[in-house]
Parts: sequence; C-alpha cells; structure tokens
Amino acid sequence: MKLLDRNPPWLVKRLYNTENFVQMKSILKHYKLKTVCQEALCPNISECFSQGRVTFLILGNRCSRRCGFCFVKQGSSLEFNPEGEIVNIAEMVRMLDLKHVVLTSVTRDDLPDKGAGHFARVVREIKRIKPTITVETLIPDFGAEENLIGGVCRSGVDILNHNIETVPRLYPLVRPQADYLVSLNVLKLAKEFGSLTKSGMMLGMGETDSEVLDVFGDLRDVGVDILTVGQYLKPGRDNLEIEEFIVPEKFEFYKKVAYNIGFKHVSAAPFVRSSYAADEILEQIKSQGIFSNRQPL
Amino acid sequence: MIEVILSELGEGVTQATVSYWHFAEGEHVDEGVDLVELATEKATFNLPAPASGTLKNVYFDEGEVVKVGSILAVIE
Repeated sequence: MKLLDRNPPWLVKRLYNTENFVQMKSILKHYKLKTVCQEALCPNISECFSQGRVTFLILGNRCSRRCGFCFVKQGSSLEFNPEGEIVNIAEMVRMLDLKHVVLTSVTRDDLPDKGAGHFARVVREIKRIKPTITVETLIPDFGAEENLIGGVCRSGVDILNHNIETVPRLYPLVRPQADYLVSLNVLKLAKEFGSLTKSGMMLGMGETDSEVLDVFGDLRDVGVDILTVGQYLKPGRDNLEIEEFIVPEKFEFYKKVAYNIGFKHVSAAPFVRSSYAADEILEQIKSQGIFSNRQPL
Repeated sequence: MIEVILSELGEGVTQATVSYWHFAEGEHVDEGVDLVELATEKATFNLPAPASGTLKNVYFDEGEVVKVGSILAVIE
C-alpha cells in the first residue's frame, strides 16, 4: 500500500453524491446564476446543494481585487447583466421556495457605487416577492462609505455580513487591497443602521492566538453579533500556502472565548465558512428573541 | 451489483486522487460508511458506500488519479 500525504482526519469532508447536488447545479445553469460555492471550490458544496442551500454570487464573476486566499477569477465582469440577475434570483427563490437566502458578490471597485445599489435592488426584489423570507448579505467593504452601507441596510437585509478574514498583520498578504480598519468600519456602520451583523475569519494562515483574540475583541467593539471561524484551505496553485492545520480543540477554545466576550452566535470548526448553515444560525438567533424580520424602508 | 461512481466533486473539479481505501477488496461494507478518500487540489473528501455488500473490483489504487464520472469500484 502506497503512503500518501493525507489531510488530517478532521479535514476530510463527506461527499454527498446525490441527485439533488446535480440538480441544483443544472437549475443554477438554467437561470445563468453564479454561486460562491462553485466559484470558490467550497468543500461543503455537495452537502449544501443536496440540502437546497446556495450562496448566490452577484455582480458578475470577476473580482476587481486580488486576495491571496481567494479562487474567484480576477478582471472585469463583461457578462454581467444586472436586470437578468435580479429577475432570475427572484424566480429561483420562488421556484425552490427558499426560506433564507444568502447573497454575496465579487468586489466591484470599478463601479461608481461599487455595486451597493445592485445589492439593495436584489434584496428588495426578493422581499417584494416573498416578504416572509430572510436575506443575508455578505458584502465587500464598499470603501466603508456610509451612504452605500446604509443603502444595503435599508433594503430589508436581515443579516449584514462582512468578513474581516484575518488578523491585521497579514492583510498585505491576504487582502492586499483592503484595510482592516475600513472593514471594521463597515461593520460599525451596519450596526448603526440597525442590522444584525456577522463576520468571519479564516485560520491557519500564520496568525497567533493573541492576534486572533484581538480581532474577536475588535469585532465585539463594533457590535458584531455573529462570528464564523474556519480553516483556510488553499484552493489553487497560486494561492497562499496553508501555514497550519488548526486542531478541532483549538476551534472549541476560540468558540468558548468568543461566547464569553459577548457574541450571540459563534460557529467555529474546520469546515465552517461564512455562509455555512446560515439558515440554522438564524434559527438559533431567532430563538434568542433578538430577531425581527426586516422589510425594505 | 452496484457501481461506485464518482459523479461530482464541485465546480470545475474534473479529477481527484484516490488517497485511501477504507476497505479492501473482498470486505463487507455497509451502505453509507466512508468507503474511499479522494483528494482534490483544495480539499479531501470521503465518498460513502452507495449500498451494502462485498467490495469487489477496486479499479483505482491509492495514488491513482480518477476522473469525475468514473467507476471506482463495484459492490456486490
């Protein structure tokens, strides 16, 4: 028997080889919609698609930034059709009778409003056709411009997510065109606009325990409610190397600490991604009595 | 006789390397148990057994590359 380099056992994901998985992909193709699940090679894709969970990637599939961890293609989104995207997402929400939708996007620094207006229009249309639905948006930083963040928050978004991703020291490698303080400000503004806020980190990129805990503290200082923490996995040859496989016990430790400093929900485990089981997190938040379905203003 | 097929892995992923067989040819497997571990560029997956029975005809050894759509083994 040949011995191979194998991932540690906690980083082996079960494959859900189901018809639903295949079917979800063909529905998305039919509606010409993109998902971050597909574009970023998410390891949870077969599990989520099998259960009817998708995270739509809006504003095209080409990103104007070049982050070291990310597999989404870089460049200009030539094929992007805003009207078609709005209609098709709404149609898919209706057809699959989705209860919770997560929208994310590439970064569009090339657009005058950085794509914030489109986010708001997609949310408004989803809420118009199904007012009982809950919508979560995982947004780029929009330069932390108050009117842009406000426009998204007023569209009826139930959870406003913006990922801090990593510790400030690693920003030049991990998010070279982003700024740690700008990202914190995005979350601060969203909180001031009354949103439930959420953020996430990837671990295993060379950060230290104390740096991670400092980020948790910074996130709480700007009122972030929900935290997700997972293991960074290298998606392609040109992406950043994995510096460390974080053991499950360490994730448990971070989870405990995060709850202790006041996060209302914490998901911390190797395969946690920022929209992983987002609907279950929301159900848990609802059970705490701190949630009310928001409608467009 | 049930074929163990690698039907899907994810978008743009067309092949994987067999990294570990949890069972050997001739052994009994139960439906749903982890049967074979497959490594792609980004992640490693466990493919569950699609049926209960005896594992026969393992077509790909550990270290071999298998394309999506291929028959990995047969369960009888």
